[in-house]
Amino acid sequence: MPRKPARNRPAASKPRKRPAGARSSTRSHRKRRYLGIAALLLLAAFAVYLGYLNHIINSRFDGGAWALPSRVYARALEIYPGQALSREQLIYELELSSYARVASEPLPGEYRLLGESLEFNGRAFEFADHRQDSRRVQVFFLGDKVGAVNDSRNGNDLSIFRLPPFMLGSYYPDNGEDRLLLAEDEVPQGLVDVLIAVEDRSFFEHSGVSPLAIVRALLANLKAGKAVQGGSTLTQQLAKNLFLTPRKTLLRKINEAFMAILLELRFSKRAIITAYINEVFLLQQNRIAIHGFERASRMLFRRSVDRLEAQQLALLVGMVQGPSRYNPFSAPEAAMARRNLVLKIMSEQGLLDEAELKRASAAPLGVVRHLPGVNRFPAYLDLVKHQLQTSYSSDELSRRGLRVFTAFDPSAQQNLERGLEQGLRRFDQPRLQAAVMIADYLNGDILALAGDRVSDYPGFNRALMAQRPIGSLIKPLLLYSLLQNELTLASKVKDQTVRIKQSDGKVWEPRNYDRKLHGEMSLYQAFVRSYNLPFIWLGIDGGLEALAQNLGKIKLLKHDVVYPSMLLGTTEMSAYEVAQMFQVIANNGYFTPLTTIRSVTDQNNHVLRRIPLDSLKLFDQARMIQVQRAMIGVAEHGTASYLARRFEGRTLAGKTGTTSEARDSWFAGFSNRLLGVVWLGRDDNTPINLSGSSGALRVWADIMQLQGFEPFKLTRDDSLAWHYIDPLSGAISQQKCANSVLLPLPQDRIPKARSRCQ
Amino acid sequence: MSVVISSRFLCRLALLVALSIGAGCSVPEAPQENPYQRPVDSGESGSEPIRLLHNQALAAINESQYQQASDYLQRAIKIEPRNAWSWHYLADVHWRQGELERCLAMIQRSQSYASDDEQLASANQLLMAQCQ
Repeated sequence: MPRKPARNRPAASKPRKRPAGARSSTRSHRKRRYLGIAALLLLAAFAVYLGYLNHIINSRFDGGAWALPSRVYARALEIYPGQALSREQLIYELELSSYARVASEPLPGEYRLLGESLEFNGRAFEFADHRQDSRRVQVFFLGDKVGAVNDSRNGNDLSIFRLPPFMLGSYYPDNGEDRLLLAEDEVPQGLVDVLIAVEDRSFFEHSGVSPLAIVRALLANLKAGKAVQGGSTLTQQLAKNLFLTPRKTLLRKINEAFMAILLELRFSKRAIITAYINEVFLLQQNRIAIHGFERASRMLFRRSVDRLEAQQLALLVGMVQGPSRYNPFSAPEAAMARRNLVLKIMSEQGLLDEAELKRASAAPLGVVRHLPGVNRFPAYLDLVKHQLQTSYSSDELSRRGLRVFTAFDPSAQQNLERGLEQGLRRFDQPRLQAAVMIADYLNGDILALAGDRVSDYPGFNRALMAQRPIGSLIKPLLLYSLLQNELTLASKVKDQTVRIKQSDGKVWEPRNYDRKLHGEMSLYQAFVRSYNLPFIWLGIDGGLEALAQNLGKIKLLKHDVVYPSMLLGTTEMSAYEVAQMFQVIANNGYFTPLTTIRSVTDQNNHVLRRIPLDSLKLFDQARMIQVQRAMIGVAEHGTASYLARRFEGRTLAGKTGTTSEARDSWFAGFSNRLLGVVWLGRDDNTPINLSGSSGALRVWADIMQLQGFEPFKLTRDDSLAWHYIDPLSGAISQQKCANSVLLPLPQDRIPKARSRCQ
Repeated sequence: MSVVISSRFLCRLALLVALSIGAGCSVPEAPQENPYQRPVDSGESGSEPIRLLHNQALAAINESQYQQASDYLQRAIKIEPRNAWSWHYLADVHWRQGELERCLAMIQRSQSYASDDEQLASANQLLMAQCQ
């Protein structure tokens, strides 16, 4: 069957020749097609590019744009009638919280002196347990005590007022940025107006970029022959600050422009200006970069940005263009000129009238004299961080904007620092190092801390990290262990030579600090004189095992193997650990973990963690009271009798500690409530030629003198009977007998022997 | 001189008599006021700020706001750490939160500060029975 020729189909053997016009049309068609494909590809690439930019914006702008430093707060000062608080102390606390002294009625964050009284306006504050609104309060003083606390608005008496705590430091992100964020509704309109007047007048009209501004800047720069004017909108500046590097390249400018457009498409003008106000870099404080108007305002003027006067606002806005060039500390004249230029612009834009312009331009810069130091209390912050690290990583601490409420007591810290400085001056030893801790042994609060002889030096924190032998500081717990073995303070003990053959065949022959032997005496006498040999005799006779058990109870037993030299305090501890050991001794055997932290909240004030007040009865109260009495003896007529001479009639309890060749000098002591531990020594462990008595004790006394204290009193315990004892023979004596001491003894172990004095 | 001799003589005589009848010299009584001891005070009366904080804590307990009650009581303890009632109320809060070990520990602290306060002693005993 013949094949039907295809209609209109050219014969395969003889292709039809296309006309020239058709060929050109095909090429053009192909070209168009290629162009179309290329355009599509370009479009896709552009879409990918925009998607990529959008992704960057999402990750940084939409959620958690900034790594926020975690803030650490001191304890809130409770102010109430009868409290031991002088006007000067209150002023110190207010100044630390950046309260400004004024002559008129104080606004939040301000105070004034009214005769002998003081009136302040406490800032609103989100405590971990509730929000406290700002309140004007007047405090009247009676000498160094609070006489009355009044609500200034109505004159009503207040039983108690809690002053919001000051921020003692922050854990900064790796980028070293510090900022305080303002929410959209917290941004003052005045700031927005000035910022727009100076930086971007068409902000509310443009869509991210302003071609007109670019042309204007180009012309101005061409005319000047150099870059004198920028054409970037606020949105472009924000995009650059948030997402891009400061390098001036064409690609960066393109990215910046597209990101600005995307920002404008996705977010409101208000959100963009708020982000700008929180982001912009304004000031360098040592290694910390201060970003955002709120933080800068608080640092420069000690007040929130919503309470700035026109000239202060003008200075801050002026600094945007050159934080270093217009730094009010290093370049006050340039800063003043820039501020006045901004004021002029404000006047031209109708934000100031002539009179206001004149007054504001004549005002001084009005910034604080010095920027406050970055983290003035490094040792304390270090311990807070150490205690936080069981729950939060370093990265979380420096990014999540946590609020950490601590027990830090600025007055105690000030006394510690002054006392330490004054105390160290006695010794004229520049290489002498120190670690000091002050704690409230009744509730476990760590109030103050120094980890270096220079308290604000942020280096090695010896209070926490330096493990040193504690010498005779082991004796109070050893004494407790001996009292568990049927001994009493009146028990007779021998001070005689000890020789112990060690496992390596060598003979250990410990000696007393004075290298003498003192014959027989009571356990009390051996303790207050800190003789070593009686304690070694008693220790190897059973006391050592009990001591190890007791150290274990408070988690301070450092080795599994118990060895006799532990009886002389060869165990190494930090000042922090020593403080924990003495906390339980001072607190009648109740163990309360020493802590810097009380609670942690997130940046929105949701409580994440609370440290409850714990109290665990680990030791027998009656025995601990006997140990405390012996420690009072140390301060009255033992190795710390310096305290009795210096604080005549005011009872204190303590123990000195000195290590081999006088390499470490320790003193741990307590008053009615405060526990202080002082260590002195050198980092290279060379002798310092100071005993616990001639070294650490003096520093401790200098600190306590400044701190002020209530004398220590023992708790009454009906299982104990009090008797006058002859400290040498341990026999019952009488008050009238020379050297007799009043001691608590278990009711069933009263000595039978009578001293000859009777 | 004769007075001195006679008093020595009398003293020795008294000692001999005492020994001969087999009774030791009477142990001197503990002084009435011991300079080393703290006077016992449960803090029941309390200062004004403590009263206020106690009241606030009790109100919070009534509203089952135990964490807030605990915060008030810890503030009270920070101000007056030896106030036995603050420790008692804190024990009560721990009991209500089901933290029985803490409850017992706080009762012990309360008792250590107020051995003479019968009302508090009874309250502590009752609470202890519940926490055990």
